[in-house]
Amino acid sequence: MIRNGFLILLLLTLFSVFYFSLQDLAEFGKNSAQYFLDHGLEETGSNNLVTSILLDYRLFDSLFEAGILLIAVSGIIWISKHEIEEKNAEFMIDKFKTPDLFVTFSRLVYPLMLAFGFYIIINGHVSPGGGFQGGAIVATAILILYYIDAEKETNIKMIVTIEKYLYLTILVIASLSFFTRGTFFTNIFDPNTFDTGTQSIYLIVLNVLVGFKVALGLWTIFTAFLKEGR
Amino acid sequence: MLFVPVYIIFIPIFTALVIYLFKNRYINYLALLAQAAITVLLVLYHYTYKGNYGDTLFWFGDWQTIGISLVNDEISESFLFLSVFSWWMVLIYTFEKGKTDHNFLFFLMFLQGVFLGLLQSNDLFNMFVFMELTTIIVTILIAYKKAGDSFRAGIYYLLLNTSGVLMFLIGIILLYNTFGTINVEQIGSLIHLYGEETVIRFSYVLMMGGIAVKSALFPVFTWLPRAHGVAASAISALLSGLVVKGGLYLFIRINGMYAGAAIDYTEFFYWVGAITAVVGVMFALSQKDIKQVLAYHTISQIGIVMMGLSSLHDTAMFYGGFLHIFNHALFKSLLFLGAGIIIKAYKTKKVGEIRGVMRAMPVVSVFMIIGMLSITGAPFFFWFISKSIIKYGIMDSGIKYWILFVVNIGTATSFIKLSQIFFGQKRMTIRLKRLPQRITLMTLAFACVALGNFYIQIGEGFFGLPLQEVTVADWAALFDYALALSIGLAFYKLVIEPDYKPVRYIRNFQMSFETANYLFVVFLVVMTVYFVVL
Repeated sequence: MIRNGFLILLLLTLFSVFYFSLQDLAEFGKNSAQYFLDHGLEETGSNNLVTSILLDYRLFDSLFEAGILLIAVSGIIWISKHEIEEKNAEFMIDKFKTPDLFVTFSRLVYPLMLAFGFYIIINGHVSPGGGFQGGAIVATAILILYYIDAEKETNIKMIVTIEKYLYLTILVIASLSFFTRGTFFTNIFDPNTFDTGTQSIYLIVLNVLVGFKVALGLWTIFTAFLKEGR
Repeated sequence: MLFVPVYIIFIPIFTALVIYLFKNRYINYLALLAQAAITVLLVLYHYTYKGNYGDTLFWFGDWQTIGISLVNDEISESFLFLSVFSWWMVLIYTFEKGKTDHNFLFFLMFLQGVFLGLLQSNDLFNMFVFMELTTIIVTILIAYKKAGDSFRAGIYYLLLNTSGVLMFLIGIILLYNTFGTINVEQIGSLIHLYGEETVIRFSYVLMMGGIAVKSALFPVFTWLPRAHGVAASAISALLSGLVVKGGLYLFIRINGMYAGAAIDYTEFFYWVGAITAVVGVMFALSQKDIKQVLAYHTISQIGIVMMGLSSLHDTAMFYGGFLHIFNHALFKSLLFLGAGIIIKAYKTKKVGEIRGVMRAMPVVSVFMIIGMLSITGAPFFFWFISKSIIKYGIMDSGIKYWILFVVNIGTATSFIKLSQIFFGQKRMTIRLKRLPQRITLMTLAFACVALGNFYIQIGEGFFGLPLQEVTVADWAALFDYALALSIGLAFYKLVIEPDYKPVRYIRNFQMSFETANYLFVVFLVVMTVYFVVL
């Protein structure tokens, strides 16, 4: 009890210092933010500034953020003790316990979610969204399939392989700018010679690849956990 | 040549992916090829930019001042060489395993690319991403055996390090809020403007908190012995020898960034290092598991390095600690890999049950003895030299000098205990004829001896340090070493061998995850009080 009280006191101290430190200089330092607002569209061809940062200004970071998911997937596959080839048909979702209403609605919702996910992925450069977010939505849509058809089999091995190939492709496409512009990890179309429409092609390609990669990765993780939970 | 940093990050990652996809034992040889390519590129890079490291700066996508940049200097360059060397050693050592186990190679090579990226990054968020990725891969490597205890150790490592890395992230957010940039150089040039403000001080505290967890400093070191104790020997060697040093490297970089803020951290981190060293030795003395002993010695050696690094950049003491990083990487890898061979042969980790190694495995024993001489600071080994440098820096402070001496005695005692495995009757052991492992040990032992005897040339060649002022044939220092050894022997015979109750108590002491987190918070508050409030 004393221990917990002391802990709360310590955390309060940290939080109050944190709070007061933010009061100090909250209005300083909008350098980069202002720069992105002013130049984001014409330099990267993306209306959505998040995408312009994610897929152009800081593409190097995004590659490794995608890498974190890749490593997590392979780690989970390795650590979960089951054989990869094993069928994952009859896991915890018992067909007879899933209400029919739920199954019916899942059937209705599934195509909508899938379409919405693709929309988010493809329009990542115009409206809020992008490969990472849309990929998560697509993965959720695919997971609903498990409710619709509990007998469904997933070949995890193939998914993982495709995911690795996609990551390789992302790496290759991201570094293509070395050949067109002489520098790594940016848009292959130079903003000085191409208009934003042409530039956005590159963003769409990357968004789609990242989206698929994320969707497949999350799908694998979920399936591995389902097998563990059985 | 400008893009060599990118190549050496992505060649291992690419190779890792190809190895994972093809699952073919001949494709696995690509790992060695990639390693050779990195080495060649790195050597060429070194000779191109030697002396004018300002030119190594470049920005991804040519987004000057807002993008991500990589830069190298003497310190990062020497770390790069050390990393590539360490990965060579581990690759060769695990060659038999790696030929068939593509999963292992995948994680190992990916980790190398990520770690090399961490060393060269000039961007705080980029560093955070690399730290995160390193943490995850290391977790998988720790839990690689899929046994219960390695699994627990992996999760313990993951959770504790993630909380540390998150503190680092909050520190980055505070800095970004202040300066509108997360570029290390830019922040370094602006930081003197707000050096006294709470936000800068507090971000320093948070970042140091994250780094303290990563590099296993005093209150938050508990993940290290668990993780390094249960991982495979080659992985332990890599983690103890190198990956832990990633935290120390960040300590150097981040303190370089905060130089303008004039934060007086020397005294604080000297004492943190000293406590870490003493506590590490104390725990090591009580252990009976050979890998646990080595893991706790890693903690104590990190403490000693910290004692050196804590002094400001341009003093001799800093280089004493800095050079000890390299020395420690060599001899700790040597000891761990040698211990791995012995454990394989005797099928036990208990120091008390392994006897007669000298007769059973004379070659391995010789290399192990070289490692032990290195760690105890014998003359003609490098620790002797870096220790002299650190001693020179703290000569005028009596108590600081004595702490170093106490740690020395502890180390001597613990390795006198460990050296018992060489004596005694030869026991039937499993015959292991593994040439690659012998080659690794030989290279490391050779490097230890070379570093200890050609330190003048090495110091000048890499850092332009006048190390010739340190004399090996100094009778007082020799006497010091002999004294430490004899006190250690007496201490071992009188206190450790009878296995008194306090020793047993320390050995069985296990810190729960909850307590470790608690201590982390306490550590953060102590730092806040020291750096912000006072």
